[in-house]
Order: sequence, then structure tokens, then C-alpha cells
Amino acid sequence: MSPYMLIILIFTLGLGTLITLSSSHWLIAWMGLELNTFAILPLMAQQHSPRAMEATIKYFIIQTTAATMLLFASVSNAWLSGQWEIQQMSHPTPLALITIALALKLGLAPMHAWFPEVLQGLNFSTGLILSTWQKLAPFSLLLQIPPTSSFLLITLGFISVLMGGWGGLNQTQLRKILGYSSIAHLGWMILIMQYAPPLTLLALTVYIVLTSSMFLTFLYNQATNINSLAISWTKTPMLTALTPLVLLSLGGLPPLTGFLPKWAILQELTKQGLTPVAALTALSALLSLYFYLRLSYATALTTPPNNLPATLPWRIIFKQPTTFLAVLITMSLSLLPLSPSVMAFFTF
Amino acid sequence: MKYLLFLLLFLLILGVVGVASNPSPGFAALSLVMVAGGGCSLLAGQGGYFLALILFLIYLGGMLVVFAYSVAFTGSDYVEGWGTRRISLAAAGYLLLVWGGGVILSTNLNEEFWTVGASFGEFMSLEYSLVGVAHLYMGGGWLLVAGAWALLLVLLAVLELVRGASRGAVRVV
Repeated sequence: MSPYMLIILIFTLGLGTLITLSSSHWLIAWMGLELNTFAILPLMAQQHSPRAMEATIKYFIIQTTAATMLLFASVSNAWLSGQWEIQQMSHPTPLALITIALALKLGLAPMHAWFPEVLQGLNFSTGLILSTWQKLAPFSLLLQIPPTSSFLLITLGFISVLMGGWGGLNQTQLRKILGYSSIAHLGWMILIMQYAPPLTLLALTVYIVLTSSMFLTFLYNQATNINSLAISWTKTPMLTALTPLVLLSLGGLPPLTGFLPKWAILQELTKQGLTPVAALTALSALLSLYFYLRLSYATALTTPPNNLPATLPWRIIFKQPTTFLAVLITMSLSLLPLSPSVMAFFTF
Repeated sequence: MKYLLFLLLFLLILGVVGVASNPSPGFAALSLVMVAGGGCSLLAGQGGYFLALILFLIYLGGMLVVFAYSVAFTGSDYVEGWGTRRISLAAAGYLLLVWGGGVILSTNLNEEFWTVGASFGEFMSLEYSLVGVAHLYMGGGWLLVAGAWALLLVLLAVLELVRGASRGAVRVV
């Protein structure tokens, strides 16, 4: 893609999220969301394969449907209450509709079916932007709206964790696995949103760090399915040693960073008296852990049969810089001892 | 005056039924013109002249024209319209639906008034949308720039997506 075009699109991605994050008027928030949607479309289609175009079209249809629902709900709220403030949304029907529209934008279950398929059609860097940056704007809106039906949010959250784990069990394609993992993590974030919004931000940040590590690892290894992952140990032994740890961190195992949001969320849920929900969600997270373990198994715990020349790629110097990946992996493995300061960072 | 209003409302409803019942996009676009003509004239008669003008210019004269050109590429040999029995029956069904809805809704006689304009600030009895656009250009500041940027971005995104020859996805080389 022409560098001028690339600069314009990436700038607009940043601008759209910034506009939504700093808005207090529903129309401005909608404008930021639409900017994000349109800016990422050419980035998604830059591979020019039919699969990429299919992913782009699916993404466009889903995002515009969600944005239209959002616009309808905000206009209904303006009609009913006479004002457009995001934080003063008082009527329950537009509130519920906004929550569902934002859940569709994020890819929460039961509106999650598009997400793994869209992710499968993209290359790793665009998929990374889709999984991390595009989640910020809808989350900022969800955090700002007044409390809505608690049943809706708990249902969205729990079903997302369940479907994220369950749906990822039968996948061999790594991008689909990362898509289902994203759905599961978003479920954890939504679950705690009405009780402790700082924990939602904590879970979002830790998730962004973890999933960026995984996307960049797969990008470095050029591994798109489990078979390719299995033979990628020869490319970078260092990364091969660290990838299972990052995967276990995604699964939420102590003493890795991924344990922190799950720990805090389960603690807050039990404090609020929702122990059965907490127990069921923790059990559903086991499903995700299973396919993370399967990936670790394929990456580092087994050596698939190969011929001798294929064991030598580590001798070739890769051009892709790994500085950022190194920082992300360090953060995803070792932030748990810093939990008090990490959590204080998000409490506002 | 009563007869003019009746004619415009008739064109509006007939056009809406036409858009809903025609499978051919060309005929649907033509019905859309009928809808816009009737609806905008009604709106203009009630004082909403700015919105009617903008609709005609931008919606009909911009978007619908582009739509019609794109649709012209998909021309088919056997175009079905109101002449075929299936579609005329569907149109009659929609008209019946509208009539039924009108009967149901007309029993509520709490007359609500709707306004298209008001006097506030330095704008005396002008239409809301006109004042809104004026405010956007007057005190909109960076929001106007952001709006213009959004329009430019959509143009560039569409151009990038449909850049043809060997880089298009429909023709994969």
C-alpha cells in the first residue's frame, strides 16, 4: 500500500479512537466509531485475496449494523430525555440497546460469530490492530454509560467466557484460536464492569499486552496453524521457550501476569455475593486453558518429525525487530509481583 | 391546499410501497424519487425548506445518481415491475398494510404538534437543521475539521478498496 495512504489510515485510526474517548455527546462518539470502522477497511483488504475481501465485507456489515443500532438508541434517548449526554442516559430501553450494540461491536457472545472468521482472513498485524486497538473505543463508551440491567451484563460476560472457551476447542488455525481467546477475555471484562470498572480496565490492559505478545510471536514465526507452530521451534529457540509461558499467562495461571485480572475479578465477584457466577466463570476458563495448553504442547513440549535441513533456520538472521515483542513478553510474564502498583494505576 | 397535501401524501405512500415491492433496483430508485418528491414538498410546506433542499441536492442528486449508475452495470434482461402479477399483488398487500396501520393509529386523537424551527439566540424563527449547520460552521471549530476529515477518509478508503486491475480482489492473479 502506498505510504501516504498508510499514514492517513493509521492517523485516522488514532483520531477516531481519540474522538470517541474524549466525547460527551453521542453523535461525536458515533463519529469516532465510524472513523475507526472506515479507516481499518483498506488495511484489512490490503492482501487483496478473496478471503481478505470476505473478511473486510463481513467486518463492515457487522460494524455498521452495530453503529446504526447505537445511533438509533442515542436518538431515541434524545427524544425521550431531551439531551445527548453519554453519562446522562436515563431511559432503560435505549440503555439496553446501546449495551447490545457495543457488545456486537466488540464481539461478545452471543454476537461473537463474526469475530474468529474475520480474524482468520487477515494477516497478523491487521488482526492485532483489530483485537487490541479497536476494542478501546467501545469499551470507553460501555464504561461511561449509567448502570443498566445487571442481568444483561452478567449474561453477556458469562456466555462470552463460555463460548470463547468452548468454540476455541476445535480449532487448529491460530488466528481463530486468538479470536476465541479474545471473546473469552472480553467476557471477563464485561462481567466485572458494573461492580468495579477499574478492574475492567486492568483486564483490558493485561489482555492487550498478552494478546499482542501472541500475535507478534506468531508473526515472527509466520505460523498460521498448529502444524506450522510445531515446527517453528527451529527459528528462535528463545521465543520457543517463552511462548508456552505467555500462553499459560493467557490462561490465567499464577505466577504469571494473566492471573492478576482473573484473581481480582473473582475476588470482587465473591465480595458482591455472586459466588456461583464466579465459580462457573472460573470453570469455563478451564476450556480456554485447554487449548492454550494444546498450543504450548505443540510449540515447545514436543518435537515433531522433521528432516535435518529444517532444523537450521535459526542460523538465518531475521530482519523483523523483536524489541517490542521482548518488552511485551517481559510484561506478560513478570508483572504479578507488582500487583498492588498495577492495580493502583487503574483505580480512579 | 387540501388537495395538494392529499396528492403529496399519496405520492409519498405510493413511492414507499414501490420501493418495498420492486425487486429491480432501477424501479426502486425511481420510486425513491417519488418518495423524496412527495415527502420533501410536504416538509417544505411545513417550513422545513432547508432539509428538503439538502435532501434533493445531496440524497437524490448525489447518492441516488451514483447508486443508479452502479446499478446500471447490473442490468438484467427480464426486469420485473408492477406489471407482473406477483409484484403488483405484493404492492397491493403493502398498501393494505399501510391502510390498516393508518386505521389503527388514527384512533389516538391526541394531537401532537411538531416543529421544524424556533427562535433562539440570534436566529429568529429559523429551521433547526439550518441553524445547526450554521452553528457547525460558526462555532464548530475542530469538529468541523474532523467532519471534513471523515468525509475525505471515506473517499480515500473507498478508492483504496476498489483500486482495480491486478490489485483488486475480484480479479485475483
